[in-house]
Amino acid sequence: MSGRKVKNGLMSVLVAAAAVLIIAVLLVMMWHIFFSGVRYLNWDFFTKPPAVFGESGGGVFNAIVGTVLITLVASAIGTPFGMFAGIYVAEHEEQRFASAVRLCADALQGVPSIVIGIFGYTFLVARFRSYSALSASIALAFMFIPTTARVTEEVLLLVPSSLKEAAYALGARRSNVIWNVSIKSAASGITSGLLTSMARIAGETAPLLFTAFGSRYVEWNMLRPMSALPLQIYIDASSPYPAQQQQAWSAAFVLILIILLLQYGMRFVISRVLRVKA
Amino acid sequence: MVARQSRSDRRELVRERVFDAVSLTAAVALVATIVLFFLQLFIASRDSRAAFGLPFLWRSEWNPVTEQFGALPMIVGTLITGFGALLVSTPFALGVAIFLADYASKRVAGPVKSLIGLLGGLPSVIFGLWGLFVLVPLVSRFEVWFGHLVGSEALVTAGTTGVGLLSAILLLAIMILPFSASLILESLIVVPAELREGALALGATKWDTIQNIELPYVRRSTVGALVLALGRALGETMAVTMVIGNGIRMPHSLFDPSNTLASAIANQFLEATSPLYISSLIELGLVLFVLAILINVAARMILRRGVET
Repeated sequence: MSGRKVKNGLMSVLVAAAAVLIIAVLLVMMWHIFFSGVRYLNWDFFTKPPAVFGESGGGVFNAIVGTVLITLVASAIGTPFGMFAGIYVAEHEEQRFASAVRLCADALQGVPSIVIGIFGYTFLVARFRSYSALSASIALAFMFIPTTARVTEEVLLLVPSSLKEAAYALGARRSNVIWNVSIKSAASGITSGLLTSMARIAGETAPLLFTAFGSRYVEWNMLRPMSALPLQIYIDASSPYPAQQQQAWSAAFVLILIILLLQYGMRFVISRVLRVKA
Repeated sequence: MVARQSRSDRRELVRERVFDAVSLTAAVALVATIVLFFLQLFIASRDSRAAFGLPFLWRSEWNPVTEQFGALPMIVGTLITGFGALLVSTPFALGVAIFLADYASKRVAGPVKSLIGLLGGLPSVIFGLWGLFVLVPLVSRFEVWFGHLVGSEALVTAGTTGVGLLSAILLLAIMILPFSASLILESLIVVPAELREGALALGATKWDTIQNIELPYVRRSTVGALVLALGRALGETMAVTMVIGNGIRMPHSLFDPSNTLASAIANQFLEATSPLYISSLIELGLVLFVLAILINVAARMILRRGVET
């Protein structure tokens, strides 16, 4: 056998070994999260606020409410900005300013989450002198906007130009074409992009540390400190009490469920409701 | 004769203007965000900038009690964990990407890709949770074993915790792997089939083809992907915060507890009481922000040029 062939065989073994090792590590992780999470789950966990420190029992209802509220408000703030910025870039694709906007969106996507958190603190919390869920939502919106803008732009550029030209030939104006032709035919892509961005911000912790701050009570008022699942996981995991640590695993499991629901479940529901393929 | 504008025409024109104005505003807001971030962090860190000036970046003392702050230990911690994680994960990321692109059948590749996608979307705090309760005890056991091996009593006693640079590097390596592997895979699957087939027809083995045709073809986008992954690793917060041990001294070994720029903020910000302490932590954030922007812009430049040529 020539050296080439030996090398070929050796490398295929190495490549396969790397793949197997990584897949094994990833599977072990999933296994840990799944089983450690499920073991301590019960109905109270979903419906009750946390028990007194160090005691077992209680749940994360406050954190579930917080995650849902904070994520929804953040996406409500971020969606118009992100979508319109994406539309702008897609419509003025060749212009210098549009590519500057695109570069800024890319750069913003790379801003570490803790920087967003500390920005939220100095910009909102310090100014209004109170921790609040709303400031957390605004901080998260800053993560939501660039991803939404990029997804919207990418999906809009996939719309066939023949479709748009046909609409222009019928005398439609640009806003009409964008709104009634491009957006509609890109609806599925934009929806799934929005849901992916939502799933991403739902799992963010660092921007919440100094903005939402956390709360042990079920809180519905966006102007007050609020708990959230990622925050609860961080606090519980750092606790010395085993009961708290177990709760962290279960909360992690619930958080993953919410994220998967957003990414795959909602996509299915929306595709049924809107009759678009998402 | 000029046709008179009907009312609906005018209304349409107004709508057109409004639409343009709104989309331009959103675009400008996006650019303004970056400026706003910089200014806000710059202003909020004025106390620390006034007290320490530029030497803040290379002073190695970080002492909340005497109020002497220098960012060097955190900058060193950030660079060691970031580059360490990149070094550990890159061979595996390349291996997985090549495996999925060239070796795996569709039946295998599909599920593996969705597993990698799933892990890429997991929140950082969950990686931190796993790292703290699974990875750190393993590292601790390794540290004790290693301490006995080299006969270092200090390592054996320190090894009971397991938190430190090594744990952070390993956890980060696992975290950035799905990201870099899927980016590399994306560029590998667009290598033109003619090139690959041409090489195979000339009698090249599969690995010859990969080494001489595919990898050179994706070189630029792979470098871009790795720079992006590095950017992620440098700014990663929660997972690192949970396993790095919040050490404030310069690390001397891979087992030492340390801090990155991000983890120092996450660990200490809520405990910081004096204005100078708070402002120094915000300046760490400013340094991290500038670093992240530079790395991301560099990566995009590399990737964009890769598309043109």
